[in-house]
Amino acid sequence: MTGLDYLWQALTPLNVLLALAGVVAGTVIGSLPGLTATMAVAVLVPITFSMEPASALILMGAIYTGAIYGGAYAAILLNTPGTPSAIATTFDGYPMAKRGDGDLAITLACVSSVVGGLIGAAFLLGLAPPLAEVALAFGPVEYFWLAVFGLTLISALSEGNLLKGLIGACFGLLLACIGVAEISADIRFTFGSQVLLGGIETVSALIGLYCIPVMIDLVATPDRHLKVTQQPRGFRLKEALAISWLGKFNLIRSSVIGTLVGILPGAGGSIAGLVAYSEARRSSKRSAFFGKGEPEGVQATESANNATVGGGFIPTLVLGIPGTPPDAVILGALLIQGVRTGPSLFTENGAIVYTFIYGLILATVLMLPAGLVIGRYAYKSIITVPKAILVPTVAFMTMIGTYAIRNSISDVVIMIVLGVVGWFLNRFGFSPSPIVLGLILGRIAEQGFVQAWTIGAATEDLTGMFFGRPISLVIILFTLISLFYPLIRKHWATTGGTANAG
Amino acid sequence: MQVESKSRSDLAGTVTAVVFILMACLALWDTTSMTDSDSYVFPRAIAAAMIVFCILLIAYNFIKRPADEAAGGTGSASTPRRVGLVAAMLGASLVMPWVGFLLSGFCAFGAIMLFAMYDPWTGRRRIVFPVAGLAIVLGFYTLFSKVLLVPLPVGVWFR
Repeated sequence: MTGLDYLWQALTPLNVLLALAGVVAGTVIGSLPGLTATMAVAVLVPITFSMEPASALILMGAIYTGAIYGGAYAAILLNTPGTPSAIATTFDGYPMAKRGDGDLAITLACVSSVVGGLIGAAFLLGLAPPLAEVALAFGPVEYFWLAVFGLTLISALSEGNLLKGLIGACFGLLLACIGVAEISADIRFTFGSQVLLGGIETVSALIGLYCIPVMIDLVATPDRHLKVTQQPRGFRLKEALAISWLGKFNLIRSSVIGTLVGILPGAGGSIAGLVAYSEARRSSKRSAFFGKGEPEGVQATESANNATVGGGFIPTLVLGIPGTPPDAVILGALLIQGVRTGPSLFTENGAIVYTFIYGLILATVLMLPAGLVIGRYAYKSIITVPKAILVPTVAFMTMIGTYAIRNSISDVVIMIVLGVVGWFLNRFGFSPSPIVLGLILGRIAEQGFVQAWTIGAATEDLTGMFFGRPISLVIILFTLISLFYPLIRKHWATTGGTANAG
Repeated sequence: MQVESKSRSDLAGTVTAVVFILMACLALWDTTSMTDSDSYVFPRAIAAAMIVFCILLIAYNFIKRPADEAAGGTGSASTPRRVGLVAAMLGASLVMPWVGFLLSGFCAFGAIMLFAMYDPWTGRRRIVFPVAGLAIVLGFYTLFSKVLLVPLPVGVWFR
């Protein structure tokens, strides 16, 4: 069979319908704070058991890609990442919505997600086997350095107050240590409390730190939640496409970053979005506007997190190692169907794999109309619903969404308490983003550090372990560039300015 | 205006830094009960770094006396409504094991609706808003408990 045959197989009416239904269901589930892409896929997996493997994969891939995009709605309109992948979308998406450009931000997120999804799928289609080797080349120390690289974003997120950003990150890192230690299984920082034994759940912490402060301020004044313009402006697709065209390098770079991070097992869309955001900010001429409603920021995060879908499938299908948590659920569903993943999958079961990849491309393309329509509806709902309905609805959604993650009332209480703490800290100049960054990257950093330390100590080569591996050195180099680039740029600007003046 | 704000010290930031130092000391003390070095190396390093950063911030605030950008008065914002929102959410979460998710959800929704209401309660709003709230809570409850099969607490009083 040729590639065209697989394409036709993916385009059967049933597969097109499944792709569309999956994208819509995923987008709606992903837009609800607390419901992650993993949950969206897990909840809908039983439906796929009676389907052909290729159709089942298309449905699951469509749900996954839709859920990752859906997370942008809450991030842009409510400052609450619907999924952890959309954390960095809040940085510029919410300020855009606040100034009356929420519709543009949503359309831009949709276009960027489609571009990111297509680039990720293209990598999956053309370069899956060689790229899967990258996943194997990443050891604990590389994960540690990747987490450190992610933490350098603190300098970007704590504009004007780096010390407060660093303190916030330390607070987040300590929060990540609460509960049972992953490697030694010691119980840490619970102070005898059963409630804290399970640790701080990342998504509930995200909801608390981002959404509760917004609601506390929302309820305190009669002002509208978002600025509303009187004239209807439609989807603002033309404007979004023009911005996307201008930011095409940003889109491509962020999508490639998303794909590569997606390949790394356990890294996920949140890290992809943060790394892409960091890079977009570093290389942009408008870096000063990042965090204040810069469309390039939305472009970077949304293209990167959707590119992780294709990227994550690379080690899942080629090596049987799930790249992201939803991939692990999909892998389980495939095994139930009798499909064995591995290097031979592309040759022995080419019909299934290639039909699925074309199906994923189809689902990503269908995300454009579906996402635009759902996004428009979400935006209109948020700006027209009276505050007396909006605030309790969002509050109720945060409670039920947080509860659903681990079926735990303690998580709901922790979410609210963290929200109040976040509100106070925000007022005192401590932004929530470094705390969240520390919370997410803390576990990866600690696990990588301890494992690398143990291996290095056992082989009596700690220096070589941490500073002698080529991939580690590349990440360290990027970390240093990311940290010192603002200073270097400032120096260049000053010396250039002096030279010009001279 | 700018001159005024520049002369203000970041007292809130300094106090928060002191609280964070105490928190880090508590974390360091807790690590003394851990026997495995894998458990305490990382949190100890972070707690120590946190103390250093906090001391630097306090010192910086004493020397530079910078403007506190984020802190500010509540202005015309209503503190009782803020407290009410948090109390309603926390209260609903705490009584959930006894009264169940649905009833605590209704109560929280109603209370928060009252706190978030700034428009006059016209006859239409008195009917439409509570009915809308009822529908929203019931809708989400059904979606999560029946469609997504999340075992929402029923409440010991209703078993």
